[in-house]
Amino acid sequence: MISLGTKSVRTRLTLWYVLVLTSVIIVYVAGASLVLVWQMRSQIDRQVVQDLETVEGLLYFTEDGRLHFNEDYHNHPESKLVQERMLEVLSPDGTILFKNNQLGERVLGGAPFMGEGVGGYSQRSERLPDGTRVILASRAHTMQDRPILLRVAFSEEPIWSRLQQMLAILLLALPLALAAAAYAGYKLAGRVLDPIEKMAQRAQQITSERLGERLPIENAEDELGHLARTFNEMLSRIEESFEQLKRFTSDASHELRTPLAAIRSIGEVGLHKNTSGEEYRDIIGSMLEEVNRLTNLVESLLTLSRADAGELRLRYEIFPVIDLLSDAASLLEVLIEEKKLTFTLTGDESLYVKADRLFLRQAVINVLHNAVKFTPSGGAVALSVARNKDGKAELSITDNGPGIPAEHRTLVFDRFYRVDPARSGENKGAGLGLSIARWAVQSHDGEIALSNVPDGGCTFSIRLPTVPQTSAD
Amino acid sequence: MHILIVEDEAKLLAALRKGLESEGYSVSVASTGEEGFFLIFNQSFDLLLLDVMLPGRDGVEILTALRKRGLAVPVLFLTAKDAIDDRVRGLEAGADDYLVKPFAFSELVARIRALTRRAHRADAVSRLKLADLEMDVTGRAVLRENRELVLTAREFDLLEYLLRHQGRVVSREMLARDVWKESARHTPLDNVIDVHIARLRRKVDEPFKVKLLHTVRGVGFVVREVAT
Repeated sequence: MISLGTKSVRTRLTLWYVLVLTSVIIVYVAGASLVLVWQMRSQIDRQVVQDLETVEGLLYFTEDGRLHFNEDYHNHPESKLVQERMLEVLSPDGTILFKNNQLGERVLGGAPFMGEGVGGYSQRSERLPDGTRVILASRAHTMQDRPILLRVAFSEEPIWSRLQQMLAILLLALPLALAAAAYAGYKLAGRVLDPIEKMAQRAQQITSERLGERLPIENAEDELGHLARTFNEMLSRIEESFEQLKRFTSDASHELRTPLAAIRSIGEVGLHKNTSGEEYRDIIGSMLEEVNRLTNLVESLLTLSRADAGELRLRYEIFPVIDLLSDAASLLEVLIEEKKLTFTLTGDESLYVKADRLFLRQAVINVLHNAVKFTPSGGAVALSVARNKDGKAELSITDNGPGIPAEHRTLVFDRFYRVDPARSGENKGAGLGLSIARWAVQSHDGEIALSNVPDGGCTFSIRLPTVPQTSAD
Repeated sequence: MHILIVEDEAKLLAALRKGLESEGYSVSVASTGEEGFFLIFNQSFDLLLLDVMLPGRDGVEILTALRKRGLAVPVLFLTAKDAIDDRVRGLEAGADDYLVKPFAFSELVARIRALTRRAHRADAVSRLKLADLEMDVTGRAVLRENRELVLTAREFDLLEYLLRHQGRVVSREMLARDVWKESARHTPLDNVIDVHIARLRRKVDEPFKVKLLHTVRGVGFVVREVAT
């Protein structure tokens, strides 16, 4: 792309437009001129041949043997293009027998060549010694038993002067036309680009505090509408992540403040009243519990922020995916037993994944822990793994607890999200376990999803890409 | 046993000093890198507790200088940074162990003990005893009042760990790391540990008059004859 030394798209568009238009006009004029010249010349060609016959009839030898031409009759051909005929009559040896006035002192074509004008006529273009271009036809003829060569020519000059005229007019008109076109093009470009300018101004006003604003869409169907729509969609995503960030910050500070507030009030109350040694132990122990809670929270947040920053490096190994389930189950076995849950683990042992075992194990543990926590005593938790229709390994963790309402289903993976905020205290979790699980699964190109089971309870599905078992070695 | 603590956070420094002194160690303290550096080369210590982030000279610098001069004293790093790179940097500089703040005091004591007894392997002891509770580690048998207790493998490991640390409080983090071999701190393991402790208590303590396994609220667990 030629920059043409200017920054404005509008000017550039106009310049390009004018440039292209000029080239088109030049090509067009050249073509038209060629056609015009060719047409006029072929017209003269025909005229010359016709005129040759006319001239034949008007020539005669006088009795003293001189050739005479009856110029009074039909002197001028009909076509305006061919006004003045030039006539030359030669004897076969090249002697000029007759010249008409129009030709004057000039000669038409000099000595005859072999077979010129014999059996019909010879036609050619010629340039006279004075520079006049002519179209010339010659014909051998016998007049009163004497062989002669007739040469008739018409000047091409009218053609060229007409062409010159036309070109001159065009040349005069062209700059005017181009100026008009440039003006129109500039205006048009302005109209096309105007919405972009408006969009830019509007976009400039959209700051982080005013993310709710959107660009105007004048015509949803055209390219600019498409651009504005794309831009608006991007704004929506940015707004959404800003909202998420805000929510996260406020949730995080809430979660951090709660144990801090507890530590503070426990300590203050402990100091205010008369307290025995045993009570002090209890107070300090209680404060330490809150400290542990804070520590765990900070650890989890740190893990997530490292994950966000891409600082956690995965260490890949190949292992049967069912290991994740059996590992998690054996770790949490006692919790399952304590709640007297019916527990099953089934699945395809031949499905292998290439993954960071620790992170994925963590993910499964978090999900399973969640299931165990929310399933009432005597309920059931089922783990299974199978290849799904996409060829991925699908780990299912199904419980028959209360299930999760549809409106919470995508949100449960959000940080600090709890289905029932009132339960946050008794269940202790900070609401980060599933976020961590989602991160771990997604960083392995996997998916994690939640669906309800028809007769109560819910299923967490973790889908992971598999690798062939053979590469395990 | 003489320990030097180099730590710029005054409250933590005071708490560590008090705690370690009550554990029977003699403790010197320094609150800047320079001060610590001076002490290290003018006195002899059995162990250094170095904070990584210090005003002046940081812990890694001190350690590097110290190892360069051929001092082989065990060094335990304390740091609030637990990024892998920092850990590696510390260990490469010649630290013997690494503890991330905030840590449980009992864990610090355990690490110090581990560092200072490396020469005489206490882990090699195969019979552990506390009051009328006896454990044969190699035979994997536990007796109380000469009656054999039937423990699961995990319960046995747990009890063994507690007995090896008898009289000292063991935190849940220590149990998670050393008994369950879990590296991630935020695993929902606390519940699991609590359930195991409850079960162990049911087998080891419930049928007997003297209770040995005690919960120290907010800190962890301890086995000893007398509850405090």
